[in-house]
Amino acid sequence: MRNSLILLMLCAFAPAARPQQQAFAQQQAFAQQQGPGSSQTLAHRTDIPHDSPVTLAGDEWGGSGATIRGGAYAIDVKLALSLRNSSQRRVRGVTLTVMAQEATPGGKGSLSVPSLDVAPGETFTVRGDLHLLRPIGAESSPMVEVSLDGILFDDLTFYGPNKLLSRRTMMVWELEARRDRQYFRSLLEQSGRQGLQKAMLASLTRDADRPQFGVQMVRGRATNTDGEKDVRFAFLHLPDAPVEPMDGVARVAGNEARAPKLVVRNRSGRVVRHLEMGWIVRDQQGREFLAASLPYEMRLPPRSSAQILQDASLRFDPRTSLEGMTGYVATVEFMDGSLWIPSRADLDDPTLRRVVSPSPEEQRLVQIYRKRGLNAVMDELKRFTN
Amino acid sequence: MPGAQHLTEAGVVLYAADDMPLWRRPLARFHASGCAACTERIAAYRSDQEFVRRMAAELPHGLNWDRMAAEMTANIRVGLEAGECVARRAQARTLSTGWRVAAASAGFAALLVSAWWLNMPKSQSASLERAVKRIAQVRPWRGGPILPFEDPGPLVEISAAGIQLRENGGALGVSQGLARPVSVTLSAQGSARARYLDQETGQVTITSVYAQ
Repeated sequence: MRNSLILLMLCAFAPAARPQQQAFAQQQAFAQQQGPGSSQTLAHRTDIPHDSPVTLAGDEWGGSGATIRGGAYAIDVKLALSLRNSSQRRVRGVTLTVMAQEATPGGKGSLSVPSLDVAPGETFTVRGDLHLLRPIGAESSPMVEVSLDGILFDDLTFYGPNKLLSRRTMMVWELEARRDRQYFRSLLEQSGRQGLQKAMLASLTRDADRPQFGVQMVRGRATNTDGEKDVRFAFLHLPDAPVEPMDGVARVAGNEARAPKLVVRNRSGRVVRHLEMGWIVRDQQGREFLAASLPYEMRLPPRSSAQILQDASLRFDPRTSLEGMTGYVATVEFMDGSLWIPSRADLDDPTLRRVVSPSPEEQRLVQIYRKRGLNAVMDELKRFTN
Repeated sequence: MPGAQHLTEAGVVLYAADDMPLWRRPLARFHASGCAACTERIAAYRSDQEFVRRMAAELPHGLNWDRMAAEMTANIRVGLEAGECVARRAQARTLSTGWRVAAASAGFAALLVSAWWLNMPKSQSASLERAVKRIAQVRPWRGGPILPFEDPGPLVEISAAGIQLRENGGALGVSQGLARPVSVTLSAQGSARARYLDQETGQVTITSVYAQ
């Protein structure tokens, strides 16, 4: 009787273990094929459409591989793509999609290179190093696929499927780049080499002093509401911003803030279709840092207001206690596709200067200054016509 | 005359019944072969033995063997029971019922643990460990606060080292690449961006990871 019971229990467990056994068998087979702790050569594909204004001149995937981690492949993508500009326009930016598995968190990434100036016929290289995840057993090969999401030209036209909304992102970077180059040229004209050098050094110092705090963000319902309170946003006043934040509040408990709710007003005469707000937090020691950006898709008619919500929770270092929050308008996109970004004068605000990173172009110019000196920076400023 | 001394009465009986020791039998045979008196006595004893055997083989008239067998069996059992009453009982040593249940449960638990360890991904085991620790910390059975149930979904984390994805408290991935980014930003839509700077050319490359 006793032996029969034991046999029955074993039989009951056997079917439940079968799917896991299959996955485990796959893992074992993979490990045995590759050896413990080793990674396989990555099966990959680079998909550039035949009518694309850039063509693939070469690619290197050396060092790429996949290892098993739990129930998924951890894919290490190290690539260098050489692309040739086969159009008649100058390329200012490119974004590539790197996909292991679309529906899996961490299965999709992208590589973007702003502040380019690639003439027709010239070749440029896009290098990337990122980690993606792909569940074991996911169908379809290859393991990783790289495709073109978008190219931005010097006349601000765009080519590509734009699935990652890279058009808007690259437009913002290009407008920032033009703004900053114009700023440095003006500085050079007005204050000469010394003025430009002083600006380069100031940017270097701000970069070194800028705090980078750890932040976790999760989308979804967090029901830990112990000790929560509503904390109102303070807003930075940017006089030229077409959208003005009127009011805002978020639920804050200790080191967590969630569900920001804002009321904004469209001051312009055009319909706004996208707004991005910057969310700055202040801790109990008075330190401020940029926590996250809050993007909102909307259709805000001229001279009207709307309430916007974001279903997101931010969590900071457990030793942090949030005392205040500040918001500012980072980007506005209108229905006709044109964009607004803060001016250099707006960025002179002490809070923004402290917490917001410089544009990619400013970082590029400052790095050129560090490595090659002021003359190289001046040559770069002259090279660009806008 | 060989073996002049005659066989004793006991010797005659033993020889007649074939119960004489082997080493004495040749001497007795040698004497009996030459002594008429001893030979006559041996034959008389063998005849008497045969008569007794025939008599013993016949059951008495009117005997009920089945009843006699039952009576004998009953007598034997009575004797055995009486023996049990007076003899010391030696008990077999066995576990008590409680310990048997414990042993069976331990085996069952070992089976469960082995099945879990062999089949479950380590990330799931780590999640279970964290959940158990959390329960132990909160101690809801002692009237503590209600254990918060979080359904966080995939979680994006940024730090000076880069971007990391987590699920159920575990790490799905690691920071993107070996280089340290110059800045990292988070988007409330569930993505994070890390900016890398080529030290020689100054070219900026921006890596984005999407959690959703």
